[in-house]
Amino acid sequence: MPYETFEHTADLGLRVWADDIATVFVDAARGLFSMIVELDSVQPRESIELAIEGEVSDLLLFDWLNELLYHYEVQHLLLCRFEVTIGEQGLKATAGGEPIDAERHVLDHEVKAITYHGLKLERQGARWLAEVIVDI
Amino acid sequence: MAKQKYTGPLERIDDVSWRIPKSYREGMRVDGIVYADDALLDLIREDQALEQVANVAYLPGIQSASLAMPDIHWGYGFCIGGVCATDPAEGGVISPGGVGYDINCGVRLVRSNLTRADVEPVKTQLVEELYRQVPTGTGRGGKYRFSHDQLRRLMGEGVGFLLGRGLAVESDIEHTEARGCLPGAEPDLVSRRALQRGFDQCGTLGSGNHFLEVQVVDSVHDERAAAAMGLKQDQVVVLIHSGSRGLGYQVCDDALKMLRGAPAKYGIELPDRQLVCAPIESPEGQEYIGAMCAAANYAWCNRQLLMWQARECFETIFNRSWEELGMSLVYDVAHNIAKFEEHQVGDQQKRVWVHRKGATRAFPPSHPETPAAYRQIGQPVIIPGDMGRASWVLVGQDGSMQHSFGSACHGAGRVLSRTAAVKASQGRRIDQELAERGVIARARSWKGLAEEQPDAYKNVDLVVNVVDRAALAKKVARLRPVGVIKG
Repeated sequence: MPYETFEHTADLGLRVWADDIATVFVDAARGLFSMIVELDSVQPRESIELAIEGEVSDLLLFDWLNELLYHYEVQHLLLCRFEVTIGEQGLKATAGGEPIDAERHVLDHEVKAITYHGLKLERQGARWLAEVIVDI
Repeated sequence: MAKQKYTGPLERIDDVSWRIPKSYREGMRVDGIVYADDALLDLIREDQALEQVANVAYLPGIQSASLAMPDIHWGYGFCIGGVCATDPAEGGVISPGGVGYDINCGVRLVRSNLTRADVEPVKTQLVEELYRQVPTGTGRGGKYRFSHDQLRRLMGEGVGFLLGRGLAVESDIEHTEARGCLPGAEPDLVSRRALQRGFDQCGTLGSGNHFLEVQVVDSVHDERAAAAMGLKQDQVVVLIHSGSRGLGYQVCDDALKMLRGAPAKYGIELPDRQLVCAPIESPEGQEYIGAMCAAANYAWCNRQLLMWQARECFETIFNRSWEELGMSLVYDVAHNIAKFEEHQVGDQQKRVWVHRKGATRAFPPSHPETPAAYRQIGQPVIIPGDMGRASWVLVGQDGSMQHSFGSACHGAGRVLSRTAAVKASQGRRIDQELAERGVIARARSWKGLAEEQPDAYKNVDLVVNVVDRAALAKKVARLRPVGVIKG
């Protein structure tokens, strides 16, 4: 499992381990949408382009997840496939998914927000670890 | 960040209150005070909620103590169930984390002249009608759409905006905290993103712990106060729990981003980033306050429209107008909010910003902000419990003004995390278990229902007993759920 949820009394925690930084961002995004919908029920029928400025830090991860949540909330777009490149300017990404179809999609949590509480992005030996708690 | 037991100091003050002395950590400016009996305290110690009570005591300008109600549990930044008052004259700060993402999350109680016997034969139809008509869950807009200009007016005028559109009556406004409108609202400070998220969500319930319940009055504990609220044994009532939806979450999010640099700029040291704050008198502080008040007004409109749809559903099922069904609003209270209020601190009368993060205002009899109908008994304090056991109606008491900046608890408080609750419900059908207890429940998500199962919460009876014994608020009536809709 590239991502897992962990306990937080009123909310939900998301933990990601990955070998490279781009994969951390991809798996964190999939982890976020796995809280909202049964991911297997979503097809990458359309895509959006995203660019987020900033150096690699926990705040870049925060801004990335926050941006995805905004697109979901406003366009009702469920996202399941992510391609991420990270450079000196920040992050560029293509996110694929489709609008909510109440007939096919099994919706789950409403994620109110990404929080700063316990937010973590760090190298642990050869791997990267990210933790983020979302408000449910 | 894993769950850990609290091992810091706790000194007993009396049977229902405890002190975390400010000597516990160097940055604490005041003590922490926790309202709980021994049994609840054992549960509260299980996670980091008490550390968060200590963290809040670091905030500049904090008055008296960092307070925690008996339903506290581990939140992000502030604990849920916390109260903190700050004085602008002493460099006091405003903190979006002390309000929460769901600005003006709260509850409203609607009475009816129906009895349990009237509803029992049509209970399932009623719940299904509510479930069809009232939007619940994620990704679902409502039937009320407001342009950005209309939203700005709605946030400026509060529930009064809906009065002009035939979606509210004067008595709804009279029985809403702050008459459904905080005067400091600055809708122009609400971002485009927030407006985009809010345009189709006013009049929608959301998910998580939000709900709409049909309940019956299970027992009456104060006849006089119950009579003033028009409540009696076996009567059917409706309880609605929701907040400011995506608009409010975005306002909080925008504020946290805007304030990222504020602690360094103003030389404020914080033990947790989620406590980020700015002096009340600073431009950043004022900007947040204006937007927060606007979002609070949106939330009151949201609960008003939810109630309006519930009235329509009752009209459909009982074939009578809501006025004939006696579906008047008993009261609406916020439990995630910051308000500028007058309080006695030591021997001084002060105007302070009271942050209530999972705490309910509980003003006593004779308080000028208590509506005329309740001036003799105190402001109604509505405490949702869980969907299997009970909720409560209390009234504010003088003790709340002496001890807790006019505040009481806001719910039962979680005892199981969401993941633990889902684990505990593997192989079970929570909806069927509820049906066996006489509660018809409908939810979009089975996981959502599992996370919100009765066992995930403390027993609300124990929580309100502490509030009652501490004289913050007095028990009036216990309500028992018979129908539930959720996200």
